[in-house]
Amino acid sequence: MARSEALTTSGAVAKNLRGQRIDVRGLLFEGALLLALLTSLLILLVLLYEVVAGGVSVLGERGGEFLQGRLSVVSAATAGVGQAILGSLMVSLIVIVFAFPLGIAAAVYLEEYAADTRFNRFITINIRNLAGVPSIVYGLLGLTIFVQLLGYFTGGKSVLAGGLTLAVLVLPIVIITSSEALRAVPDAIREAGIGVGATRWEVIRSHVLPSAAPGVLTGTILSLSRALGETAPLLIVGATTGFLAVGNVGFFDQFYGPYTTLPTVIFRWSSLPSGDFRSLTSAAIIVLLTLVLAANAIAIILRNRYEKKW
Amino acid sequence: MKRKRSYLVMTALALSLALVSAACAGGRNAGAGSGSGSGESLTGELVISGSSTVEPISVAVAEKFNAQHPDVNLSISGPGTSDGFEQFCSGETVISDASRAIEEEEIAKCEENGIEFIELHIATDGISVVTSVENDFATCLNYADLWALLGPESEGFDTWADANQLGKKYGGSAAPYPNEPLAVTAPGEESGTFGSFIEIVLESFVEDAGIAEYEEEVAPRPDYQASANDNVIIEGISGTPSSLGWVGFAFYVNNQDTVKALEIDGGDGCVAPTEETIASFDYPISRPLFIYVDAGRADDAEVEAFVDYYLSDEGIASATEVGYVAIPEEDLEETRSIWDERTTGTHVGE
Repeated sequence: MARSEALTTSGAVAKNLRGQRIDVRGLLFEGALLLALLTSLLILLVLLYEVVAGGVSVLGERGGEFLQGRLSVVSAATAGVGQAILGSLMVSLIVIVFAFPLGIAAAVYLEEYAADTRFNRFITINIRNLAGVPSIVYGLLGLTIFVQLLGYFTGGKSVLAGGLTLAVLVLPIVIITSSEALRAVPDAIREAGIGVGATRWEVIRSHVLPSAAPGVLTGTILSLSRALGETAPLLIVGATTGFLAVGNVGFFDQFYGPYTTLPTVIFRWSSLPSGDFRSLTSAAIIVLLTLVLAANAIAIILRNRYEKKW
Repeated sequence: MKRKRSYLVMTALALSLALVSAACAGGRNAGAGSGSGSGESLTGELVISGSSTVEPISVAVAEKFNAQHPDVNLSISGPGTSDGFEQFCSGETVISDASRAIEEEEIAKCEENGIEFIELHIATDGISVVTSVENDFATCLNYADLWALLGPESEGFDTWADANQLGKKYGGSAAPYPNEPLAVTAPGEESGTFGSFIEIVLESFVEDAGIAEYEEEVAPRPDYQASANDNVIIEGISGTPSSLGWVGFAFYVNNQDTVKALEIDGGDGCVAPTEETIASFDYPISRPLFIYVDAGRADDAEVEAFVDYYLSDEGIASATEVGYVAIPEEDLEETRSIWDERTTGTHVGE
């Protein structure tokens, strides 16, 4: 058998126990599972190949100039994703500043303080439901609340309004992942702390939070990459698609002005008739994928570095 | 040690919080101040939205304008004409791009919010129905022919002759058609030209012929070679002698050696697409493109400078640069005088 070298110890033991040489049904099942895995990998590879093949020439020829270039739906030769990268980063900053503290605080309350009442369970279930609400719904929410109702404070269709909309969008995910990280901290830690006379807050601050931090961080950074890739809600709350010039304002003032983000630009460019924009679209996708992968890599590195085994 | 690291991360979070609160404190009103002065020191903010068909013209103008006045903030989006008017009539945008005239309901909404508009006709969009130069049987088609050959009921037709029954039923002027292969290549649904073809040809035909089945929604036959790249369409059309399809006028003009535009009968006889017939709307599949300017802000320095530039010879040339048909000199003069006199209201149909 060609497979013999792949047999593991447990496989050998099972074979001996059953007294048969080849476990046909087991092999078939294993093959089916492998096929499922290969199919999904193949789809992913085709997708990646398409994107890279289409966009790598643009990145190769124009490189830094493309990464700094300005949004345009007319001049394919000079258009770039500079403004889009900046916009995506600014929006992410808003998400970090608003969604993370709020979400983590809510999770600490739910896990450490809230009693296990029917009402609190109802709240927890609904937070999970909220995480599954389609993003376009959050876009409409953002349009009503952050763009129209609070327009005076956010500056209307601004980075701030867009960022807040995405913050609300990822908030349930932040709460859920943080809750799970907190729940993974063994009760023995809390009991020991309380046993030596620490107050609940002291236990949380000095033991529970530091122990849960790696898990919380991983979850929140993953939710950030979700925010990085969202298109639909940003189109609704007014990310710019055609042309953008913000010449005379400082960095902080830009939070109150118009913006564009990578997914928005990808969406718009992909619908343009000219073939030049096709390759620009692919190049922009590569940039977005790199950003998201970088965010995920940071999450993994942080988790591996700080992870505690109980 | 480990705990310290976690605190480090927490501190980083807290720091970024402080950073943005500082931004919040300092930022409000930035960019909202309207421009003052003239020439190089022009500042201010222009928010433009509307038709994705007109968006490229405005972007081309904006790119040139921005080179002269880098301190004017510009944001141009193309969610669609209707969305554009929605924003324009609630005061969110200063200029609205439109691939059709403003409608009664939209005018009412503008009035409700006290917004008066200046309607400026800036270019014309024409669609050419094309076939190969080697095609010797087709010269002129009417809407019924187009419906029979390209409409939703033509799904599965492999030859022109397959459409004979439909063509006869609806009164196609070119029916009966020859028994030649029917190879259709045309824009995909993401294209503005696809939308224009539906609006101008199919929807108006459904209305005229009273085909109840397609009143709600109508689309061309789904089984054709669709491409988002107009050059691919031109290749497809020139590849088969009996091909059929449609492209933006500019693409036909640039490829007259391989493709031929058919004359179209919209009810007033056969008209070939030329710059003149499109600009005068004698060619049936053409439509005007507009920008609408908020009259209340028309005298703000940055708005005035931008629209002035838009209507200048240099600015208006953008329309042809991005593939549309320039409006004739006298129409341009009229557009300019409407702007100069700040004449409000719609003039379409006059």
